[in-house]
Amino acid sequence: MPAVKIKRASSSVDMTAMTDVAFLLLTFFILTAQFRSQDAAAIETPSSISGIKVPDRDIMTIGLGRDGKVYFGIDNAQNRISMLENIAAAKGITFTPNEMKEFSLMSNFGLPINQLKSYLSLPKEQQGKVKQPGIPTDSTGAAPTNELKDWVFNARKANNGLRIALKGDNLAKFPEFKNVLATLQAQNINKFNLITGTEAPPAGWKAD
Amino acid sequence: MAEINTGGGGGKHDGGKVRSKKASTRVDMTPMVDLGFLLITFFILATTLSKPSSMTLNVPDKTKQEETEPIKASNVMTVFLGKDNKAYYIFGKAANEDPEVKTVGYGYEFRQALQENVKKVGGEKFVVVIKPTKQSTYKNMVDVLDEMAITKLKRYALVDQLTPDEKKLLKDKVKLDA
Repeated sequence: MPAVKIKRASSSVDMTAMTDVAFLLLTFFILTAQFRSQDAAAIETPSSISGIKVPDRDIMTIGLGRDGKVYFGIDNAQNRISMLENIAAAKGITFTPNEMKEFSLMSNFGLPINQLKSYLSLPKEQQGKVKQPGIPTDSTGAAPTNELKDWVFNARKANNGLRIALKGDNLAKFPEFKNVLATLQAQNINKFNLITGTEAPPAGWKAD
Repeated sequence: MAEINTGGGGGKHDGGKVRSKKASTRVDMTPMVDLGFLLITFFILATTLSKPSSMTLNVPDKTKQEETEPIKASNVMTVFLGKDNKAYYIFGKAANEDPEVKTVGYGYEFRQALQENVKKVGGEKFVVVIKPTKQSTYKNMVDVLDEMAITKLKRYALVDQLTPDEKKLLKDKVKLDA
């Protein structure tokens, strides 16, 4: 009498459904998310109940790090090049086309103008290692040493429709914020956005 | 996972006909799943999902000097943003009239204090003056401005200069070196 053979179940699982799910999620993420830009410094913003979203285009971001360093960036690569051309002309510095291109790829930076050229000529890997000292500002907002003023001025010259967003870190001290504020006010900029995280308003609160 | 092909097979059986081997119709999807999840992981890590929100801040024009009617001290709540996430406020009296300095934390406590004082004065006349000191942080300022939005107070001002009276008051009452 031959031994009874047990029918073995197939060890393969149908993966089709799982593939469907995986690609559905993938499609969702591609459509909803936007790429994270490489920032000069990590800034943790405070949160607010404000529901106004930061505009996508035509935006100038002034970052304020926790150590009080000021970073600056504008959104469009084309604008960045014309901004750099403007400021180079004003300061009497020349940039090679290569350095210009390098600059147009940086979403924001925190360097004094006289260090910018040497930074741009560094290879990519070394750029990431450089500790950016921040853009010089001062409390009066109009002194010749205040370089943030020049950047803001030349950025607006490159694109007049730029809106200004201020991105401050939780731990940044108020006097440092005041320096940035004074710089903007000295140029008669009195309206800007503060970038914040989103938090839920208290129960029962309704927007007007 | 390797698939074990149990059925089929076109081997020559004893006396049977020679049949062509039928290819299995099932395709192994495992590598495709792997690829899918790899891409998902990449997108999750490389992108940001939520866009940050922003609050608008309008500051008065410094170049124009507008004549304004002086506001009565009895309607004013002056908030000093101190160190270690504490706020101090005086209400109803000017700094040189020896007012009571109260200490509040940000958030709920501060909101309650605001609402109490609004009731005493009435919404229309109530003015909040926010004075951040040198030791306060940017977060403190945003928190207070946010409370203004929550309590829907429209009349507030952000003033970055402290008067000598106020400095003395803070030093005497709460040992804050403004």
